Amino acid sequence: MASRYHQGGNVLSITVANVTKRFGTFTALDDVSLEISAGRLVALLGPSGSGKTTLLRIIAGLEFAESGAIRFDGQDISDRAAGERRVGFVFQHYALFRHMTVFENVAFGLRVRPRGERPTRQQIRDRVGDLLDLIQLRSQAGRYPSQLSGGQRQRVALARALAVEPRVLLLDEPFGALDAKVRQELRRWLRQLHDDVGVTSVFVTHDQEEALEVADQVAVMNQGRIVQVGTPDEVYNHPANSFVYNFLGNVNLFHGRVDNGMTYINQDATGDLIFARPHALEITRNANGPNHFRATTKHINAAGPLVKIEVITEWGAPVHIEMAQERFRDLALNKGEEVYIIPRDLAIFEATHGDFTPSR
Amino acid sequence: MVSALPGVSAPAVGEPAFVRRALIAVTVIFLGVFLFAPLAVIFASAFGQGVAAYFRSFQDPDTIAAIRLTLLAAAIAVPANVVFGVAAAWTIGKFEFVGKNVLISLIDLPFSVSPVVAGLIYVLLFGAQGVLGPWLTAHDIHIIFAVPGIVLATIFVTFPFVARELLPTMIAQGSDEEEASLTLGAGGWQTFMRVTLPNVRWALFYGVILCNARAMGEFGAVSVVSGHIRGLTNTMPLQIEVLYNDYQFVPAFAVASLLALLALATLVIKSFVEWRAGTTKEVTF
Amino acid sequence: MAFRRRSIIPGFGLTFGFTVLYLCLIVLIPLSATVFETSKLGWQQFWHIVTAPRAVASYELSFGASLTGALINFVFGILVAWVLVRYAFPARRILDSLVDLPFALPTAVAGIALTTIYAQNGWLGRPLASLGVHVAFTRLGIVVALTFIGLPFVVRTVQPILQDLDRELEEAAASLGAGRWQTFGRVLFPAILPAALTGVALAFARGVGEYGSVIFIAGNMPMRTEITPLLIVTKLEQYDYAGATAIAVVMLVVSFVLLLGINLLQKWSSAPSG
Repeated sequence: MASRYHQGGNVLSITVANVTKRFGTFTALDDVSLEISAGRLVALLGPSGSGKTTLLRIIAGLEFAESGAIRFDGQDISDRAAGERRVGFVFQHYALFRHMTVFENVAFGLRVRPRGERPTRQQIRDRVGDLLDLIQLRSQAGRYPSQLSGGQRQRVALARALAVEPRVLLLDEPFGALDAKVRQELRRWLRQLHDDVGVTSVFVTHDQEEALEVADQVAVMNQGRIVQVGTPDEVYNHPANSFVYNFLGNVNLFHGRVDNGMTYINQDATGDLIFARPHALEITRNANGPNHFRATTKHINAAGPLVKIEVITEWGAPVHIEMAQERFRDLALNKGEEVYIIPRDLAIFEATHGDFTPSR
Repeated sequence: MVSALPGVSAPAVGEPAFVRRALIAVTVIFLGVFLFAPLAVIFASAFGQGVAAYFRSFQDPDTIAAIRLTLLAAAIAVPANVVFGVAAAWTIGKFEFVGKNVLISLIDLPFSVSPVVAGLIYVLLFGAQGVLGPWLTAHDIHIIFAVPGIVLATIFVTFPFVARELLPTMIAQGSDEEEASLTLGAGGWQTFMRVTLPNVRWALFYGVILCNARAMGEFGAVSVVSGHIRGLTNTMPLQIEVLYNDYQFVPAFAVASLLALLALATLVIKSFVEWRAGTTKEVTF
Repeated sequence: MAFRRRSIIPGFGLTFGFTVLYLCLIVLIPLSATVFETSKLGWQQFWHIVTAPRAVASYELSFGASLTGALINFVFGILVAWVLVRYAFPARRILDSLVDLPFALPTAVAGIALTTIYAQNGWLGRPLASLGVHVAFTRLGIVVALTFIGLPFVVRTVQPILQDLDRELEEAAASLGAGRWQTFGRVLFPAILPAALTGVALAFARGVGEYGSVIFIAGNMPMRTEITPLLIVTKLEQYDYAGATAIAVVMLVVSFVLLLGINLLQKWSSAPSG
């Protein structure tokens, strides 16, 4: 999968084997294992403090694990220095060299090679030129990082990492510091770039939308462990436990139990966990069948493709519901109206030890 | 002529014009008496008997020797403290270790020691009656009342300058750029030379300037260890004292004018560096 | 817990080792010589030296004059900082740069310059003498020298605070009906007080140890115009090493206590307020 931007750098797989990392008494990573196939684009998704950035930095050689190993194509590289691993690392705040121009930033990795391996001036100029074309910043080559926008800096950081033909590309919260619109653009661009360059890539994010949209595979992390690995479809539609379900999208939480195929919702916070996504709850005026409960509409936000409605259940809990504009118009809902709620799709997690596991 | 700074003072919260004028007038008089007058009197006294007399002052061999010794002491003390300052800033700025804050406080220690005490401690160590005195005498090594003592005292009083200028900059910059450089395959030395040093160059430059100004101007500490041997162990400030006490005012102020010019140059560079860095003023001594 | 977090950045051993070695050789070991020297004296003898009338008179002078100078700088430092930050007038930038002069000007040069100005026939000495005020070779002269030396401290600690102060604070006070004086007294002054006190403490600490700028303008008369650093030098010149060291130890202890106080003040002034 060699391309114009990634000449001959072989694409390889990454193995994280039983890695444990502590900071003082805090366990950042607890016996983590992960297999990343060659050429994939993988997201490490989790809340802050889940250990995702630490794992990324350990793969890069920027941190050292207490135990466990990192293997590239089966070869243990745990003891190799960061510079010898041939990884491209894109820092959360870019870490561009502020006293160097865009061109010099991208050229840095080539210029610091030992004399024998260093490309000629002309080769460096060509390669940097190609990369600047790739990130569409050739006209800005002579500028300094402080003169660029956030999105431009991010792209320069990427080009700088790609310049050394890394065997693995690692990105720490690549879109974290950007505003919403630029984020959207860069996400699509990163996906495209990965398809063009084909290098095995891992990025860290706390934004589930970002992970689900960009990655081939998502590894969901929580409290120093990997909770689930799968395609976006798998983790979203078949979450391994209540944490994953909760983390991947908005949910309403109920408590209750399942008995003979019937779901009973408790009005106090006891029993199993029952989740319902906002779009899986239907509002009607007349209830037919046993599966429903009563509620009063409290707040309606009809701006946007989906109408967002907050209702208060008969036992006084707030519940969020989303519906299409069309359906909303048909219903002609008003604020303060009594309605019935019919759950269309519930996810039930039995109260076992620790996390709740699915019972469906 | 007198106005509020544009964009700074909103009309709602400004002072009446006469209050502003009065406050400015008091400030100008205060700074005029305490800062401008001493500066002016140096040059007025130095040129009090004409330009010829001024330049004749520098023909005195003892004065020439004093200038030489001052340059020598600064030429040793400044590089020594630059090496130390860079090492200390690297260790403190780039690593986490136990006792870091203690180390920072210890580096500042020489600032809180009276210059006279700074000189005294070297006399206690290396003086004829000092701890190492007998051994030094036996080996015919002269430190106190000789050049090495002057250099040591100068290093002590200028010890924190470079480190102190570098430290805030290095700490503020963190280690991201160094990590980026290392992942791109650069070695430690390459990273330091190509990434770290260019990033702190203005702070380093300013630290060197301050360190040098103090090294050339130090009086108390050097006075204690020097022995005031004319033509041999007198630095410029000590030579000024000798000349002044001999009522040779023109030569005394002529030498003083050189150090005053150095001080003015230091202030100009300070303003320039602050303008470059776009930072606000800080207490640096 | 390990002494240090493992890091990929190289050079810790080398730079840490060098830093500590250099610190020990230049600063810590020489300073410990004072302890070694004083330990030759018994406690009683030490006490006798440091409480001798001449020594006590020198402390009173050094501390008193430094404190006076620092307090003068408290008032004028706030004023100068205020005027430099808030008002535009000709030569503002030059005056601003000139504030650091006492830091940059060698103390001996400052000493002879001040003495010349305040001597009987000096620029300011003559008019003052005709009013019956004598500055040079008196305690007043020492206060003048220490005011000069400490001048930048309060200005430079207060200036950044004033620059960063949110103008909305004052506007809020004004909109709530506070007069200009009330706004200054209740809003601005409390905001700059910690910084100003830090400046005062720094100026005081510097003044206590000051030597070069004072000895020319002070009369250097024992019991009257002899500052503590000069007393140390005098004892040294008489080869009274133990006596000089005993008084130096007193000064060191005072300096360290002041340093501690300044650190606490700086913590206070950098603490989030309001």
